[in-house]
Amino acid sequence: MTQAVLSISGLHAAVEGKEILKGVDLEVKQGEIHALMGPNGSGKSTLAYTLMGHPKYVVTGGSATFGGTDLLPLTADARARLGLFLCFQYPTAIPGVSTVNFLRAALRAQGKEMPAREFLNRLSTEMKELKIDESFRSRYINDGFSGGEKKRMEILQLAMLRPKLAILDETDSGLDVDALRTVADGVMRLCGPDMGVLVITHYPRILEHLHPDRVHVLHDGRVVTSGGADLARQIEREGYEPILGTAAAATA
Amino acid sequence: MTTPLADSPAAALGQEVAAARAEASPAWLAARRRIAWDAYEAIPMPSSQRDEDWRRTDISALHPERFTPIEGVDTAVVDAMRAQRDSAAPKAAFAIDSPVATPIEGADTLHAQGIIVTSLEEAAMVHPELVQRALAAVRVDESKFIALWNAMWRGGVFVYVPQGVEALVPVWIAHPAGGDDRAVFPSTVVVLDEGSSLTVIDAYASPVGLAALFSDAMVILAAGRDARLDYNTVQQWGEGVWHVAVQRTVLDANAKLRFMGVTLGARLQKVWWEVILDGVGSEADVLGICFGDGTQHFDHQSLQAHVGAETRSNLLLKVAVRDRARSVYGGMIDVAPTAVHADGYVANRNLLLSQGAKADSIPRLEIRANDVKCGHGATAGHIDSDQRFYLMARGVPPEEASSLIVRGFMDDVLDRVPHRGFAELAGALLDAEIAGGSGAGVAAEAG
Ligand SMILES: Nc1ncnc2c1ncn2[C@@H]1O[C@H](COP(=O)(O)OP(=O)(O)OP(=O)(O)O)[C@@H](O)[C@H]1O
Ligand SMILES: [Mg+2]
Repeated sequence: MTQAVLSISGLHAAVEGKEILKGVDLEVKQGEIHALMGPNGSGKSTLAYTLMGHPKYVVTGGSATFGGTDLLPLTADARARLGLFLCFQYPTAIPGVSTVNFLRAALRAQGKEMPAREFLNRLSTEMKELKIDESFRSRYINDGFSGGEKKRMEILQLAMLRPKLAILDETDSGLDVDALRTVADGVMRLCGPDMGVLVITHYPRILEHLHPDRVHVLHDGRVVTSGGADLARQIEREGYEPILGTAAAATA
Repeated sequence: MTTPLADSPAAALGQEVAAARAEASPAWLAARRRIAWDAYEAIPMPSSQRDEDWRRTDISALHPERFTPIEGVDTAVVDAMRAQRDSAAPKAAFAIDSPVATPIEGADTLHAQGIIVTSLEEAAMVHPELVQRALAAVRVDESKFIALWNAMWRGGVFVYVPQGVEALVPVWIAHPAGGDDRAVFPSTVVVLDEGSSLTVIDAYASPVGLAALFSDAMVILAAGRDARLDYNTVQQWGEGVWHVAVQRTVLDANAKLRFMGVTLGARLQKVWWEVILDGVGSEADVLGICFGDGTQHFDHQSLQAHVGAETRSNLLLKVAVRDRARSVYGGMIDVAPTAVHADGYVANRNLLLSQGAKADSIPRLEIRANDVKCGHGATAGHIDSDQRFYLMARGVPPEEASSLIVRGFMDDVLDRVPHRGFAELAGALLDAEIAGGSGAGVAAEAG
């Protein structure tokens, strides 16, 4: 039996004094692809940030482990070094820090440093795969990037860093059809036995590319239902109303 | 180690030294020095209470008369400065600003091009018209410190590039200082004739440590019609140094200045970066970075004086202060009625790395012409927590994340510096400083 790489149980978290996560239970096994859906404001990004260790998000209860290690006492950098990766919904621009310097620093920090030549070759290859222009190497991280360019740059980082589990927070939003395919192909290429994915999305389209093992629905800070790929299609057809109605009835 | 001068016992700054300086000068300069000394004595010390210009920079603990002019150069400091030249611009000629006549190193190429590189003292005797014309950019009694400089300077470096000559190698000017309770009057005068071009690196350094030194510096740069001057300066005084400097450029028609200033050292500095865009179509890009820690106090005053029509200037100074360091910035764009279609911008960005660090910024515009495009911007803030989180989320430890952000903040300026060797040197000095070392002073091996 494969081990759970991420195991979340009864997780509560608050931001600025307001409780957003109200007991999240979720388990992702090694190499699996999971989708997390849910209405706006249900707490999906909050869960992603909480797992990554953003200092603004305060855990008020429950547990989260990664490969058996307790995530919660660790700072974000230590979590990343364990193999957790977050594709940001809104990547931050850092003027003055070039993509190349940043990636080298990240690889070094994660003990994945490689000789300069090999690094540049790999970067070149990954950039081609993701249809990112060479000029982006020396551009400052996310500085003046379009929405779609930022998303592709997140996947480039994913490709260079090869984590054990990647959380993609609406990486598919704001991408044109071709870019969506490029990004989905990129993710598909990377995931496998060594890398699992938790895809946060509003659209089943990316899921048609990624074929998730499980689909979960988050509502008001809790996972209210889980199912197979069909669940995503049902949501696309009928919206959240019927599911949330049932879930509400079930918990009543 | 210093090379002592045998002739006179050391005397502190005062009438006696001033008289000796005048005595040793050609007649025209002697007259100028006497007027300067009288002006110095007549002008009161600037006061943070009385003088608006000095309101945020307190020099009540500075007593020039307690300092004795250096009589030789600290060879260890010179060696450290030469090593910087070797790595950043190995082909550059190396000129040492020294009270003792010192040969210019590696100036053969420049001399063969007809370029003059010599001490200012020598030039005052051999090329008096050239020096007089350059010095005319600064009134002898403009301020207490300018008057003192005029009365006291010695040695200095003078560069003249004849008409149409494009210098094949840069000139690296070293202004070293050392010892305790010593005064230096670093002097750089550069004159570019019509259509010529030159790159200058102007460096100030003294040993690491708290030795009290007083530096009263002057830089006069004159670029003739169509001339192009790349001027880079780095201030790396030790932490006990008082540094006051005027760095003034006058641009003739279509002349271009690219200025880069790196401020790292000193206990307290007040410098004026001034560009007079005299000629029609002249242009100036002024960049600067400053990093301070401990209790360092930095005061930068800039002036972009648009006189000619169609002139363009752009200034960006980025400052990062840590611990209890403090930065004061005053920037002025002054547009004369003659400067129609002038285009000027001034910006100062400050990064505060500690709660106790402080930065004040006052950019001003004075516009007396029609149809101009001018603007200014000033910001101050702490490291952005989202930027830091983003880097940490990729595995970068928090301290390194902060360093990357600070370095990035500065690289935005360094990336625009045309002389890459100098930009790399500045980057390396900055890294050392960000890592907790001090950018104040050069590590000078004793002996
Ligand atoms: N910094 C914050 N301060 C106050 N409230 C916040 C903060 N961050 C998130 N919230 C609130 O937490 C709730 C959950 O937000 P979150 O961003 O996790 O939703 P989401 O499920 O990702 O939504 P979307 O689908 O729109 O991205 C929202 O009501 C939001 O307003
Ligand atoms: Mg979200």
